[in-house]
Amino acid sequence: MPLSVDARWDLIDKISKQTVEFGARKHTLKDAIAELTVKPLTGIPVAIAVIYGFWSFFCDFAGTLFTDGFMVRLFDEHWLPWLQSVFPGGLKNPFYALMVDAGHIEGGVLVASDNCFEAFGVLTSGFFVVFGVVLWAVLAFYLMFAILEDAGYLPRLAVLVDTVLHKIGLHGYAIVPTFLSLGCNVPGVTATRPLETRKQRFMMMTLLAIFVPCGAQIGIMQDLVPEMMGWIFLTLAIGYLGFGFILNKIVPGKSPELIMDVPPYQMPTLRNIVRKLWIRTSRFLIVAVPFVLLGSIIVGLMYLTGAMDWLAAVLGPLLMGWFGVPSETVAPLIAGFLRKDLAVGILGGLMEQGIMTTFQVFTSVILLCIYFPCLATFALMLKEENGKEILGSLASLVAMVFVYGGLIHLVGIMLGVA
Amino acid sequence: MKILLMGHPNVGKSVFFNRLTGAKVLESNYPGTTVDFMKGWMRLEGEDVELIDVPGAFSLEPKDRAEEVAVKMLAENKDSVIVCVLDASKIERGLYLALEIIEKGYPAVVALNMWDVAEDKNIRIDVEKLERILGVPVVPTTAISGEGFKELVSKIKEAAPVKIEKIIESAGGRESAAVS
Repeated sequence: MPLSVDARWDLIDKISKQTVEFGARKHTLKDAIAELTVKPLTGIPVAIAVIYGFWSFFCDFAGTLFTDGFMVRLFDEHWLPWLQSVFPGGLKNPFYALMVDAGHIEGGVLVASDNCFEAFGVLTSGFFVVFGVVLWAVLAFYLMFAILEDAGYLPRLAVLVDTVLHKIGLHGYAIVPTFLSLGCNVPGVTATRPLETRKQRFMMMTLLAIFVPCGAQIGIMQDLVPEMMGWIFLTLAIGYLGFGFILNKIVPGKSPELIMDVPPYQMPTLRNIVRKLWIRTSRFLIVAVPFVLLGSIIVGLMYLTGAMDWLAAVLGPLLMGWFGVPSETVAPLIAGFLRKDLAVGILGGLMEQGIMTTFQVFTSVILLCIYFPCLATFALMLKEENGKEILGSLASLVAMVFVYGGLIHLVGIMLGVA
Repeated sequence: MKILLMGHPNVGKSVFFNRLTGAKVLESNYPGTTVDFMKGWMRLEGEDVELIDVPGAFSLEPKDRAEEVAVKMLAENKDSVIVCVLDASKIERGLYLALEIIEKGYPAVVALNMWDVAEDKNIRIDVEKLERILGVPVVPTTAISGEGFKELVSKIKEAAPVKIEKIIESAGGRESAAVS
């Protein structure tokens, strides 16, 4: 016969009285650090310092050191010219255009590209996006993330932001899926499982899919428009909190307290960090490489067959009229269904051609973030949510894109920059 | 025979799993790293045995998706030995889940993990006495550095179902000698 809850606790009490002895606790250095990082007065500056450090490392290691210092040169000065010289065909040859360099019109003449953003080829832009930019961003992100994870900082951050997140019906724990999503939305969505109610999970997944850019995307945005990153994150954060607030009001269900353990700080072990870095980076490559290459092929074919021009003509008025971005943006939007990093890469190509204003670039980058989760994330949401919730997520997405996208355009008009 | 690793969130089940199977499951220092079960194989006295890393659960009355998975795993694997991983520094609440598992008639081994943390906090546990009361093997471990694993593995075969009445008896019978 099973015991009642009380009887079980009584038994535990008896057992522990006989076997456990609590000695006097010493106040250790660990305790002191633990207190510093959760008390708001010291915890908030520490959190800012940690995030700033995280970001600086991300930019310096991935952006400056690897991508700019090494990969851009490798790809633009060696890989692209080499391919242009040895690959059969040449400008105007469709296969060459698809694989290496689509070229672009300058003064009425089709000229060869001189960088891998512009070239639009599978072997050039596609490879550059994955191995030149995104791989290093992902590596840098996961290195820092693993250290924070293993040290035990994330639950403390959760305690700190708990009050703010409660205002939008989420628990401080939401910081874990959110932070994870900044690396990749797929594990982020999986990490919503400890949330207790379907409402919280639905809200979390929807917010993640719409407002949290992944590491691959951040990496390439940082390479392309470093000066805009502050505004981009601010815009997304406002959307995340604002839309979370609205969702909390309209989605039925409860948002109960979720009581989470704050584990003791631990010294991260090199073994575990290296292993996690390896697991996550290899998972990234397995998912990213095929999708980026497939995406480049699809976009390339759509350009070659004229489908892209047709779509641009059809959707142009909507894009220009409502969002204030040029009809060419349709190409990155198509690629974005598969991979956001590739999409931003294609946007970079358009930027290099000088057909977009700064504000249009900004709007497009935000649109690319929020208009649809990438295919891998969407597939996972199909698995995690029931039919009604999927429809809810999609409806939220559509509403959000039009409202927020239009709003950004409106702000641009009012500021006189759109 | 199968072996299930069960315990509260963030007591180190995944570290056990990786150590015992050589597999690659993500380990982190926050609750809820494993939300789905993972299977792997380990060698037990020359035999290949399936080891399952069950998501963290506080009790067997599920409150979230991860706990649902845990309860389902337990129900689906009636023939398994359960390694109950406890946080030695919070032993009482860990025992709650362990007792629930024992009550359901599963043979169990108790691993008092995070032994180092308990030592830091100056918590002393009388392992032999605990073992006598529970009637199942109890092994102190520090999973991160691998201490206690050999002993734990050697005790898995000793696990046998225990009647809860017997535990009550041995706990109550010694009450007079309590608090040393």
